[in-house]
Amino acid sequence: MPKFGFRHFIKVLLVLGMVAGMAACKPTVTREDPNLVKDLSGKWNDTDSRKVSEEMIQDVLSQAWLGKFNTKNGRVPTVIVGTVRNLSHEHINTQTFISDIRRALINSGEVGFVASSDERGEIRSERKDQDLNASEATRKEMGNEEGADFMLKGTINTIIDAIEGEQVRFYQIDLTLIDLSSNRMVWAGQQKIKKSIERSGIRL
Amino acid sequence: MRLPDRFNWVVMLTSVSALTAMLLTGCMALGQKAESLHSALAAGQVGNALAIAEKEDVDKKDVLASMNKGMLRRMKGDYQGSNRILEVAKGQIETLYGVSVSEQAGALMVNDTLRSYVGDRYEQVLLHAFMAMNYLQLDDIDAARVEMLQAGVKMQEWGEEPEEDPFVRYLSGIIYEVLGEKDQALVSYRMAKNVYKATIDKHKLGVPAVLKNDLLRVLSEQGSVDELAMLKKEFNIKKFQAETSGKDSGELIVLVNSGLAPLRQEASIVANTGGEVVDTVKISVPKYTPPKQRYAVRLTTGQNLSADLELVEDVDALARAALDDDMPVIMSRAIARAVVKHKTQSQVEEKRGAMMGFLATALNVATERADTRSWTTLPQTIQLTRVKLPAGVHKVNIEIYNAAGTLVDTLVKTVQVKSGKSVFLAEHWVAPNMALNVVADKK
Repeated sequence: MPKFGFRHFIKVLLVLGMVAGMAACKPTVTREDPNLVKDLSGKWNDTDSRKVSEEMIQDVLSQAWLGKFNTKNGRVPTVIVGTVRNLSHEHINTQTFISDIRRALINSGEVGFVASSDERGEIRSERKDQDLNASEATRKEMGNEEGADFMLKGTINTIIDAIEGEQVRFYQIDLTLIDLSSNRMVWAGQQKIKKSIERSGIRL
Repeated sequence: MRLPDRFNWVVMLTSVSALTAMLLTGCMALGQKAESLHSALAAGQVGNALAIAEKEDVDKKDVLASMNKGMLRRMKGDYQGSNRILEVAKGQIETLYGVSVSEQAGALMVNDTLRSYVGDRYEQVLLHAFMAMNYLQLDDIDAARVEMLQAGVKMQEWGEEPEEDPFVRYLSGIIYEVLGEKDQALVSYRMAKNVYKATIDKHKLGVPAVLKNDLLRVLSEQGSVDELAMLKKEFNIKKFQAETSGKDSGELIVLVNSGLAPLRQEASIVANTGGEVVDTVKISVPKYTPPKQRYAVRLTTGQNLSADLELVEDVDALARAALDDDMPVIMSRAIARAVVKHKTQSQVEEKRGAMMGFLATALNVATERADTRSWTTLPQTIQLTRVKLPAGVHKVNIEIYNAAGTLVDTLVKTVQVKSGKSVFLAEHWVAPNMALNVVADKK
């Protein structure tokens, strides 16, 4: 065994102190391309959200329900966003991909959207306010809201299998479009993501 | 014996005393912090305790500091703030996953406090339980469900039942049931029952009557006749009639976290192995102070309803059991450390003379400190009751009784019970007059 004297002990402590001092430096900031795939912890991230929304949009616009509605009614359908329940193991912000989907659908011109139930309250109170305060010519009347034809609802589920140091995460995202007059599901979209995460049992 | 030259002597003495001072401040601060938090809380001064805690660890690197802040913010009713900082603690625990080579070396040369604190297993799962309770207070039951799932994954990683926390399984079951996921609830209730039974030594708890009732109710609702009959026999319950919510009634689920988890203290022995000064070694290990008195909790409502809350988690017992489990490892590390320290002392004396040997010994003895860190702002116990109430707004009293059966405090809460739904109250009580102090702090 090599001799470990008091001097060595002091040296080790000094080196440890320097390392600790270095940790207090300024943060480094690098700008990244939003399309860059960067997996850090293995948890749900922006790439997952984007991938799910892109594929869901493609799917929902290519299915038969849209054409059928157009032929029958001679106009584009109006959709409202219901709840997307997070039943997964993570606190997932479902708003990001819901707004991605909504934006793509509105911009496609094939589908119209009406404000969700949360947003409606604010708009109604503004109309109420206009009723009192706005001029006759610009006042918007109550009772002219457009009723939605379909509601978009969904869930995010996960299955996690884990042993010490290793995890397999399986995400399943289900979205359905429900006809508000008949309760019929006209479209069901599903996306699956599987990730395997290994963690080292030793760190510095 | 050869005396070192004067210059060397002065330099060495200065560095030794500086190092000793540095290390001692760190070590003492540990124990003092926990004690000052405890004494402020014992006097019911949640605001003061929170002010002490918030000053620490500004860059949010220390898991224990974040856990304490989270619990104190919760006690003050800042549930969102509590979850924000507990999420930080959770992230740090993830980052510190695995055994650190440098910290282990430090623990072997100086003391155990050089190891990063990530919390004992019972603390790590309770972190999720308290985040879930915060979300329940914020009426975000889906988010509470997420926390329980995360706790589930954690326990799954650790393996078999004795490593699990029965209360966490039970709380998961309640959350599933309230969300209408009866089959999932049944699985969790079953697991909770098995874990309560498997960990009776550690938790000092049998299967709580409230859980037995829940398990039988869900089984009868699901129509699992055989299992129902089997469990009635196991629980020695002859007749079981599930209490169902009437047309205009709902359920109130009350969780009360009372008292404080025990404080770890240091126990040391100083021994001399050979007669010389440099043969002096000190071994320090953590130990617990004797248990404090426990509080009983009763819920009363205007409807002449009175229900005693039942003990579902004995955090005090868990903390003690965790230390008992860790003791062999802590002890062997302490002995290995004593050997390393003794070796350095002898070598320093051999090479640098008696004075330096003496100083090295003094430094080693002074830096030998027990790791007394633990999440001491956790409650002593968690108690629970579930009652049916008519739909509408209710004023309920949560009465706290001391060990002698005297009423020491009453928390008055207003709840809105909706027909066919469940509503939660997940309260925290640490000392008499806490309610008063919290109101005073808000001004």
